[in-house]
This record gives sequence, C-alpha cells and structure tokens, in this order.
Amino acid sequence: MLKVLIPTLMLFPTTWLAPKKWLWATTTSHSLIIALISLTWLNWTAETGWTLPNSYMAIDPLSAPLLVLACWLLPLMILASQNHTRTEPISRQRTFICLLISLQAFLILAFGATEILMFYVMFEATLVPTLIIITRWGNQAERLNAGTYFLFYTLAGSLPLLVALLALQNSTGSLSMIILNFNPPLALASWGDMMWWAACLIAFLVKMPLYGVHLWLPKAHVEAPIAGSMVLAAVLLKLGGYGMIRMSTILDPITKEAAYPFIVLALWGIIMTGSICLRQTDLKSLIAYSSVSHMGLVAGGILIQTPWGLTGALILMIAHGLVSSALFCLANTSYERTHSRTMALARGMQMLFPLTATWWFVANLANLALPPLPNLMGEVMIITTMFNWSPWTLILTGLGTLITAGYSLYMFLMTQRGPVPEHIKGLTPYHTREHLLITLHLLPVILLVLKPELIWGWFY
Amino acid sequence: MSPLVLVVLLSSLGLGTAMTFASSHWLLAWMGLEINTLAILPLMAQQNHPRAMEATTKYFLIQATAAAMILFASTTNAWASGQWDITYPSHPVTATITMAALAMKIGLAPTHFWLPEVLQGVSLTTGLILSTWQKLAPFALILQVANYTPPYMLTALALCSTLVGGWGGLNQTQLRKILAYSSIAHLGWMILVAQMAPQLTLIALITYIVMTTAAFLTLNNMDATKTATLASSWTKSPTLTAMACLVLLSLGGLPPLTGFLPKWLILQEVTNQGFIPTATVMALSALLSLYFYLRLTYAMSLTLFPHTFNSVTPWRMTAKRPTLLLSTTIIMTTCLLPLTPSALTLLI
Repeated sequence: MLKVLIPTLMLFPTTWLAPKKWLWATTTSHSLIIALISLTWLNWTAETGWTLPNSYMAIDPLSAPLLVLACWLLPLMILASQNHTRTEPISRQRTFICLLISLQAFLILAFGATEILMFYVMFEATLVPTLIIITRWGNQAERLNAGTYFLFYTLAGSLPLLVALLALQNSTGSLSMIILNFNPPLALASWGDMMWWAACLIAFLVKMPLYGVHLWLPKAHVEAPIAGSMVLAAVLLKLGGYGMIRMSTILDPITKEAAYPFIVLALWGIIMTGSICLRQTDLKSLIAYSSVSHMGLVAGGILIQTPWGLTGALILMIAHGLVSSALFCLANTSYERTHSRTMALARGMQMLFPLTATWWFVANLANLALPPLPNLMGEVMIITTMFNWSPWTLILTGLGTLITAGYSLYMFLMTQRGPVPEHIKGLTPYHTREHLLITLHLLPVILLVLKPELIWGWFY
Repeated sequence: MSPLVLVVLLSSLGLGTAMTFASSHWLLAWMGLEINTLAILPLMAQQNHPRAMEATTKYFLIQATAAAMILFASTTNAWASGQWDITYPSHPVTATITMAALAMKIGLAPTHFWLPEVLQGVSLTTGLILSTWQKLAPFALILQVANYTPPYMLTALALCSTLVGGWGGLNQTQLRKILAYSSIAHLGWMILVAQMAPQLTLIALITYIVMTTAAFLTLNNMDATKTATLASSWTKSPTLTAMACLVLLSLGGLPPLTGFLPKWLILQEVTNQGFIPTATVMALSALLSLYFYLRLTYAMSLTLFPHTFNSVTPWRMTAKRPTLLLSTTIIMTTCLLPLTPSALTLLI
C-alpha cells in the first residue's frame, strides 16, 4: 500500500519543483509509473480474503480493482487537462495538478481503509479537491451553483451516516471492516433501527447517485473541467457503490425488505434517466445522465444482495468508470475545438476526424454493452440476478438496455454522422496526446475481456 | 493609542481572565470578568467612529448586565447555602441563572443579538480578541457550573445556537457579522457537551480559537470587511487567498481539515450518550453554516472574474504586517485532524 501511497505523496514535490517546460511530462510519467506499480495489486496470491500490509490499510479483491482504477485515472486526468489549463499561469497549473494528486491520495486512503470511519473521513475528504476543481476551473458561471449542489447533496446524505456509524461503533465496539463481518447479525427491528439502516445507505445512494437524489450529478459533470468530470464519473461515483457493498454486510437482515423502495427507485431511474438521455441536446449532460442510468443498475445489483449482483455491480463499476471517462474525454476534445457542448452544432465529425470517430464508435459500443466487453458481463449478471429475484424486473432492465442502445446510437449519429455544418471551419487536428488518452481508456476495457476475473471481486 | 496605555489595557485584559481562571470564589470570578470587560472597552472605542461607540456601548451594557446577573445568582446562592465556592454544588435555580448570564456573555443563541452588531462595529484585531480571548473567562466558569445546570437547558442552548448561527449568517455580506454568526454556531457545539464531556468543550474551544484566529488574521491581512472586497484579494496575495479557502472550509467542519476534529468528537460523545436525534440535528445544522463559508470561498478564491473589478483595487505595497501567527494558525487550521489522538491524550 505504502509503495503506491508514498510515491503519490512525492508527486507534490515533483509538481512544484519540476521545471516549467517539463511540468506536464514529468507529472504524467511519474503518475503513470505509480499506476503501473498499482497493477501489482491485481495479482492475488493471498489465500485469505484480505492482504493486510498494516492494520490500518488493507486490500481485498473488492477494493483492488477500484484502487487500480483510481491510480490509473490520475495520469489520464493530467493528460486530459493539458489543453484546458494551457492559458493559465504556471503556478495555477501546478495548483491544479496538486488538487488532482490530493484526490488520488484521498481515494487510495478511502478504498484502502480498514476502518469504516477512516473510509468515511476520506470519502468526505475527496469533496474538497473536487469542489475546488469544479468551481475554480469550471467554465461557466453556473459552476458555482453546481459546486453548491454537489457539496450539499453529498453532505446532507453523509452527515446522518456519520452519526449512524458512531452509533454502530458504540454498540459493536469496533468499526473495522475486517472484524465487523464476523459479528453476529444485529437484531434490527424497531423504527429507529430502520432509520439507522437508511442513514447507513442513503449517503452512498446519494453519491451513486440514485434516481431522485441525482440532480447534483449532471450539474457537476456539465460544469466541471474535463479532469473533474473524469474523476467524478470514473471513481467518485464508485465510492458510493463500494461503500454500499461494505456496509451491506453489516446491514444484512433487514435489507431484504427495507431495500424495496430503493430498488424501485434504482430500476425506475434506469428508465427515466435513459429517457432523459434520449431528448438531451447537451453532450456532457447526456453522458452524465447515462452514468446515472448505469449506476442505477449497479445500485440495484448491490441492494439485491446476491453474489451475482455484487460481482456484476463491481464489474459494471469498473467498466463504466473507464468507458464514461473515455466518453467525457471525447466530449471534451470536441468541446475544445467547437467551444460548444450542443450536439446539433457539431455534427458530421466523422468526415473531419475519422480516427476519432472510431474512438467514439468503440466507446459508444462499450457504453451500450456490446458482447465481449466487461460492460455486458456486468449488466447481464445484474439483470440475471434481478430476474431471479423477480421476473417482472426484466421489463424494466430490458427496456433500460434498449433505451441505452437508443441513446448511444443517438449520441453517435448526432456527433459523428450527417453533413458537416457550414459554420465549422478550421478545426485543429487531434493531437497524439488525445489519441493516447482515449487509447489508455479503452485498452484496459478491451484487455479485461481476456481476464475478467480480475474484477470479479469476492466471488471468483 | 499610546503604547503605555495599550500595555496597561492588554495586561489588565490578561489579568481579568487569569483572575477568573484562578478564583474559587464567586466574587473574585465576577471581579475578573468585570476587569476583563472594562479593559477591552477602550480598545473597542479607539476608533473614534459612531459605529465603534455604538458597539462599545452595546458590549458594555450586555456584559454589565450579565455580570450583574452572575453577582445576583452567586449572592443568592451564598444566601441560600452559605457558600461562595464556585465548585460547591449550587442550587439549580442559581446555576440556571448563572448559566443564562454566561450564555449572554459569550453570545449563545437566545441572547446572541448583540454579538454581530458589536463585532461589526470594531476593527478586525479587536474583533479577534473579542471572539477568542474574551470567551476564555466565561468558559472557565461555564465548565464549572455546567454540572449543576439542567441538561436540557444546555442542549436547548446548543441546538438554538447552531441553528441560529447557521441561519443568521446566510444573508450577510459583512464579513465580521458572518464571523460573529460562525462564532455563535461554534459556541453551540461547545456548550452541547459542556456537561457530558467538558474536555471536548475545551478541545472545541481551542480548535475554534485557532481557526477563527486564522480567519480574522487572513481578513485583516486582506483589509477586507465586505464580501465584495474579497473578490480582489487574489491580486494581492494569491497563496493566502488559496489557503483562506481551506481555512473557511475548515471553519465549516469539512474533513480532512481541523474543523472536523471537534465536530467528530462531539458527535461521538453525544451519540454514545444516546442522544442520536440531537446529534443528527447538530450535524445537519453545520450545513447551514457551511453554506455561508462556501459562499465566502466562492467570492474569495474560487471565482476569478473575467472582467475588471467593481471594487477599487487597493494600492499594493510590500506587506509589513508580521505573518508568523497567521501562517502558524493557517497550518494548524488545515492540518490538525491527523493529530486527533494526540489532542485527546493531551486534554482528556
């Protein structure tokens, strides 16, 4: 753990001491080396469920893929932000990179924590850099509104969680994730216990986000600079899913009945947010709503509490993290050229940038879960386990899949096909940097087809 | 103000607080409070300005009233029990009156109305003394009488203060008033555990003093008393502006900053005592305060206007103000959370 955490912290001096000319190259390569080192976490040699480098931090098959994802994303974020911060003074560029690095440090501590309270503190700690990234480096005036929404939705959900965790600590005497699994199930019966149960889950459901408490997400995504969108879609939402999986082992007995309203909202959310995507004109907003739709499926898979559901949720989280981040990158490259997120204003890009159109095509196919890709694996596992739970859910999940295909097609056709509008002139060609960025997103997705058990979690 | 007078005033400010700290006799404690009040009055009135005079008068009247109430309560207590000792269990009625008076002295919610007005009228340095040093003596007494006051009174004061502190600051644009409301909200957190765990009150008080010192000194360094002035602060001192954002979020209690430390410990204690709804309401009321801190960070660090300023750009000279205290408190404001175990070991 420390062999990744300490180099991550050493990125701060790297950022501040690197010469101006080499700032981006140095930080990118340094963070890429960290990401490559982090891949060793996927090599699972332990016979026990956890590997414990020390008593405060541990890795298990559930957290390993998420940790690697968090480490993998930092070089990509730095790559993606180069053009966006180009006009800023050098010290502000350094500050920006520092925020991204601090985010990675907090995420490693969050996913690696063995104590739930430590996880909670780090879960909240990611708010500060994300807030600053959104509100300081966003593009429009609405970003302040988006930052407020982001902060207050998350905090209003998670402060009851803090109280609930402290109450749990008081009754069980420990909040260690390693120990809590071996506790006898809590006898939860009263209304107070139900509220405690809800408080434990709602924070994560807001973060996921569940349909109904998702309004902060499209705002944050639309207003955030590219690095903010990437990290939000790829890792921060997964904090919610990860937290839910961790907490659900403790909440077990009453989850069976109490989860109904949330499963209903999650499934209904898939349809609703998918339909919202179908009539979206704003490219980033469309991708954001598609995230909400996918995360609804993840939430359903976790709440259903079956091995297949949890595995499917983890697979979908990783696959969606990479793919939606790639889509945001593509949207951003197009935004940086046309200075508009409106899809109707930047059509026919295939004529101008054929290779990028290929990236769009692959990313879209991955987003709609084309067969061998891990996205499909995750979706099918969740849909199957839902179907096993109640056959009627197939109507919702099946319709959701159909709508996903529909809006992916809509997004691809609107941006890539059709005539090139008259007003589009003199777009700069795509840089190698941008192609590299998308490749580094899509390559892991494709490689995971070959060895999917890396992201199968506990039940492999 | 002549240095000689300043020395006399500041030393009697210290003397008053020290006397209250050291006294076991109600009369002496009362005397310390009065010396304290009288010593700060000339400092408040040193700007010869109607608002300063108004603030001084208000402060004097409130503090004198509260001190008189304390005198009345302790005399009654002595009359009923024959004891002047502070530590001697007081009669519930007199303890309640004393607590009400002390709440008025520090500006807890139902009796908080003077605080924003007074703080608005004085300079930032005097405001700093008012919201840090001047709280110490009353808190020394609060911690001693809290055991004899009805617990519901403390909880009511606490909930009222955090909610009023949060709501009151929402529509303010004047920085000193916002800091006053922030002070009210923080005092609410402190008073909540004054009976259950007085050490946590102390921790909360110390962290509050550190954080609010950082905030006041930052604003003093920027010469800012209005939110609008903050917008141009980054042109003068970019690093300070960036850090000020974290200082404000720390005041708001966001982890991983120091402000989360007292909130966490207090919530833990309150939850352990079984007051879970109270803990939840307190935790959520922190969101109200967070909103106005967030707005300040927006105005100060997170928005750089693409157009020219509406406010007059101040003349820039090399800063002559000493920044040692400022930088120390800023570091403490942002980085103390990992030291929570040490704080607990030192103070409990």
